[in-house]
Amino acid sequence: MNGSENKSFLRILVVNSGSTSTRLALFENETPVFSETMMHSAEALKPFHRIADQYDFRLRAIKGFLSRNGIRLDTLDAVVARGGLLRPVEGGTYAVNDRMLEDLHQAAQGEHASNLGGLIARSIADAAGVPAYIVDPVVVDELDDVARVSGLPQTPRRSIFHALNQKAVARVAAGVLKKTVDEINLIVAHLGGGISVGCHRRGRVVDVNNALDGEGPFAPERAGSVPSGQLAELCFSGRYTFTEIRKMLTGSGGLVAHLGTNDMRVVRKRIASGDATARLIIEAMAYQIVKQIGASAAALNGDVQAVVLTGGLAADLDFTALIADRIRWIAPVVVLPGEQEMTSLCQGALRVLRNQETLKEY
Amino acid sequence: MHRILVINPGSMTTKLALYEDETQVWQSERSYSPEHLAPFGTVMEQFERRYADMVEDMRKQNAEVQSLSAVASRGGPFKPLEGGTYRITQTVVGDLLQGRVQFEHASMLGAALADLLLQGTDIPGFFVDPVSVDELESVARISGLPELERKSLVHALNIKAAGRKVAKRLKKDLVQLRLVVAHLGGGISICPLKYGRIVDVNNAAEGGPFTPERSGSLPVSSLICLCYSGSYTQSEMKKKIVGAGGLAAHLGTNDAILVEKRISEGDAKAERIYRAMAYQIVKEIGAMATVLNCMADGIILTGGLARSELLTGWIKDSVHALAPVFILPGEFEMEALAMGALRVLRGEEKPKSYENQ
Repeated sequence: MNGSENKSFLRILVVNSGSTSTRLALFENETPVFSETMMHSAEALKPFHRIADQYDFRLRAIKGFLSRNGIRLDTLDAVVARGGLLRPVEGGTYAVNDRMLEDLHQAAQGEHASNLGGLIARSIADAAGVPAYIVDPVVVDELDDVARVSGLPQTPRRSIFHALNQKAVARVAAGVLKKTVDEINLIVAHLGGGISVGCHRRGRVVDVNNALDGEGPFAPERAGSVPSGQLAELCFSGRYTFTEIRKMLTGSGGLVAHLGTNDMRVVRKRIASGDATARLIIEAMAYQIVKQIGASAAALNGDVQAVVLTGGLAADLDFTALIADRIRWIAPVVVLPGEQEMTSLCQGALRVLRNQETLKEY
Repeated sequence: MHRILVINPGSMTTKLALYEDETQVWQSERSYSPEHLAPFGTVMEQFERRYADMVEDMRKQNAEVQSLSAVASRGGPFKPLEGGTYRITQTVVGDLLQGRVQFEHASMLGAALADLLLQGTDIPGFFVDPVSVDELESVARISGLPELERKSLVHALNIKAAGRKVAKRLKKDLVQLRLVVAHLGGGISICPLKYGRIVDVNNAAEGGPFTPERSGSLPVSSLICLCYSGSYTQSEMKKKIVGAGGLAAHLGTNDAILVEKRISEGDAKAERIYRAMAYQIVKEIGAMATVLNCMADGIILTGGLARSELLTGWIKDSVHALAPVFILPGEFEMEALAMGALRVLRGEEKPKSYENQ
């Protein structure tokens, strides 16, 4: 039994390092007591060549947060951070061990601001003498073997997705159905700047479109799947460099390419003022999401207890209606808008501290 | 009684058939080897050779042009057209001869062969449901990049024919039904057939499941990395996507029968890849089923690969919960062409105008 169970509550420090911000929160059990989002200007980050070089800078920011709020290290029970680009792992809560530190530091799987989270969490946790965790990083990979195969051996399908939020809302949806995730099958559609639709079979995400590599529905900033032959022609046309094509597909594809904005509120206004193109593009985005949900339903042999719509775009009622109306015949639709990353991270730590879940080793 | 000659030129064959109403009287097939066709640069350059062979094959069957009520030929990769039966007019033939088509394919010979055969007679020539049938709804045309519009190129002839057959079984009219049809062959087309119209389709050359020789949808980043790797020329990449992708790329053969034999002999890799193809077909069927907004009246598996009990068994296991599954193995091109003409001859359907689209 864990000694901390004798306390009336557990104090968890949550660190979420994004590309231009550090979000911090102190939780007592499930309740956030202090929280703060520190924005880092491009200017401030400019001197750092690699993301790992921002380590000291970000650590100082966190120490500032702790002292401003009078949070003493010896009152913490754990520090938890968003996971970075690690090697593919099963979903769950992981101890930040030395092997993970090394991979994060060297950015073995790629540079990403979330790599800093694990590094910083471990440093603070070591000083406090408590464990450091990460929860459901984007590299969670629980794909069925058949889902890994694409039409060319050189381009296998990979699992990179919004695992933290997908897994968290799957638990909430299961609760709504009075079940646990390992008793049911769910389809979770995370609708944000990128869109991932996951097949959750008994708690494991056995297939998911890889929003990062360009698969599935187009999204506010990403092109998703596009016609292969035509894309190859575009690549060989001599009109674009590799970097330009990549940018077209992953930063300025989707809504940005069609409508010049990634902001749904702007698009909504245009639709309201009679912009037919804007309406058609939004309908097409919903249509592609619906098709991805249908593909996922078939992948689960039609045995689906609920479809969950989550992420920032799920707060747009008109948009979710476009989706829900077409898929209700598959399963009941549950809408859980937004993305509670800080809470999801805290809960991942709490589950292992309370021995509800086994801590995983990287 | 209507007597209809059917002309169906494929890449390596010309098939002919004579129908008296719904009944096939005879069918012939002329095969060409790659050596036969090597001297010809373009498809249309094969015209005289194919025409002479066709006339000879008709003579062998004692088929008189004057005895025909109509000729039905396979349509080519024309401009985008609604589904249906079209009169072969001088505009149609002109477009073929001038190369005003979406790509080169042997099927473009059909209308030209019919036209010359019928010259000097008043017997009508028709083509039916060509590969360029385009009935996509606007939302289905949009991809995540405005430069890359989704296009409809589809095994329309067999898909619509299979839809009609299932409609007949269900004692309904095709226009009353919401179906998903998967044409499974060297190329795979999966579409919602909504009240008789193909309102979406994967486009077998651009996306969807991988097939015996096509790669289908690929992870986009990986695809552009391959294109810019310097390891492949444009035509090599094109070949990877259409011709040497899918089963051919993974297993070195596009022959599903051979793959199944390897699976039965315990080849685990062959089984993994073949199952993955079935899995991608299943996902595309699920995707297209949602386009119908409700549970489909049926899912149809047709085309040459639908002869495989192994493959259709796997697919059926996954999709039968979504809708009743109908398996119609093989292709019904000859019959579908004859019936397309017959419906017009009987006044059940109006011929469509090529010129107006």
